[in-house]
Amino acid sequence: MEEPAKINHKANVTNMEFKKLQFKISDAQRIYENYLKQIKSATKKLPREDQQDILMELNSHIYESMAKKNPETGEVTNLLTVLDRIGVPDEVLKPLVAERKLNQAIRTFNPVHVIQALMLNLSYGITYIIFFISYLFIAAFSFLAVAKLFYPSSVGFYYKKGEIFRYGVFASNDNLQAFEVLGNWFIPVTVLFAFVFYFIITIFLKLNGSLKSVKNDRLGKHLSPDTTVEGHPIW
Amino acid sequence: MIYIYAMNKEFIDKWHSQVKKGTLSFIVLIVLDKNELYGYDLIEKIRNQTSIEIAEGTLYPLVNRLKTDKLLDSKWVEQETGIPRKYYFLTKTGKQTLEEMKVQWKNLQKLITKLM
Repeated sequence: MEEPAKINHKANVTNMEFKKLQFKISDAQRIYENYLKQIKSATKKLPREDQQDILMELNSHIYESMAKKNPETGEVTNLLTVLDRIGVPDEVLKPLVAERKLNQAIRTFNPVHVIQALMLNLSYGITYIIFFISYLFIAAFSFLAVAKLFYPSSVGFYYKKGEIFRYGVFASNDNLQAFEVLGNWFIPVTVLFAFVFYFIITIFLKLNGSLKSVKNDRLGKHLSPDTTVEGHPIW
Repeated sequence: MIYIYAMNKEFIDKWHSQVKKGTLSFIVLIVLDKNELYGYDLIEKIRNQTSIEIAEGTLYPLVNRLKTDKLLDSKWVEQETGIPRKYYFLTKTGKQTLEEMKVQWKNLQKLITKLM
């Protein structure tokens, strides 16, 4: 493989065709295609564009790495060295996938994406737990606001000083009914609560630096430990 | 009890990895300020110029984060080989941020030298 000439042509990842590398030795081809499958499987929760972007970037990385390898070492050995350096897709792509998923969740606010992002990110700290709890509150309040429309007599805010403090749905609430204090105001108040939590999330995610420190911690785990020689840092 | 007087290697290693972690984005920004590079080339440049070995699993999430922070941008450039490269480059914000980082780095360096 020789140094390719650069064509000055900006391209969009969505309308670029993915081109598989071709190896001379069939075993190398098999290893390579197996690796591509692992990449696809590790990124399948992401939007199509992100999937394509990651696949093409890693493919380019493999291509460029192979181009610099000595062909005499043999294609299979070279390919294995290259792939070992990158690592197992499922592990090595985890932080990248988690981050892109979170970006997508913030962008779309779609519950499916939010839950997937949370599953991927939950282990990374308190930021996500706060995000998760706030999101649950939004879901719960939204549900209550709609439920009040359909079951006006079973949903409400029941309050008696010092004795009853209940906010939500209660199926058999004849005893409680007398203590319902909000009436139809329940809906705007509940929507307001949902918005409050929505703003908590938005402000938290957009302004809080702690999210970045979480990401930095994650980054640290992937620094390769082989940078010291005889106990001394190389630099 | 000789080991009491020896340097604490474990502490040094930990400290070193923290320093490295803390300066990696700075290094990436400096290298990319000089030329637009694709991932493989970026790793090679950093290795050749600083002897710092960045794993792919570190670099790609890092540049992704710098993109989210609007310091970097990227573009796909088609190649004759049919395998396009994704080039990373500094945005205007990135360039200005880097200038400020350089100033702060120099200040810190002066401060510590004075302390020592």
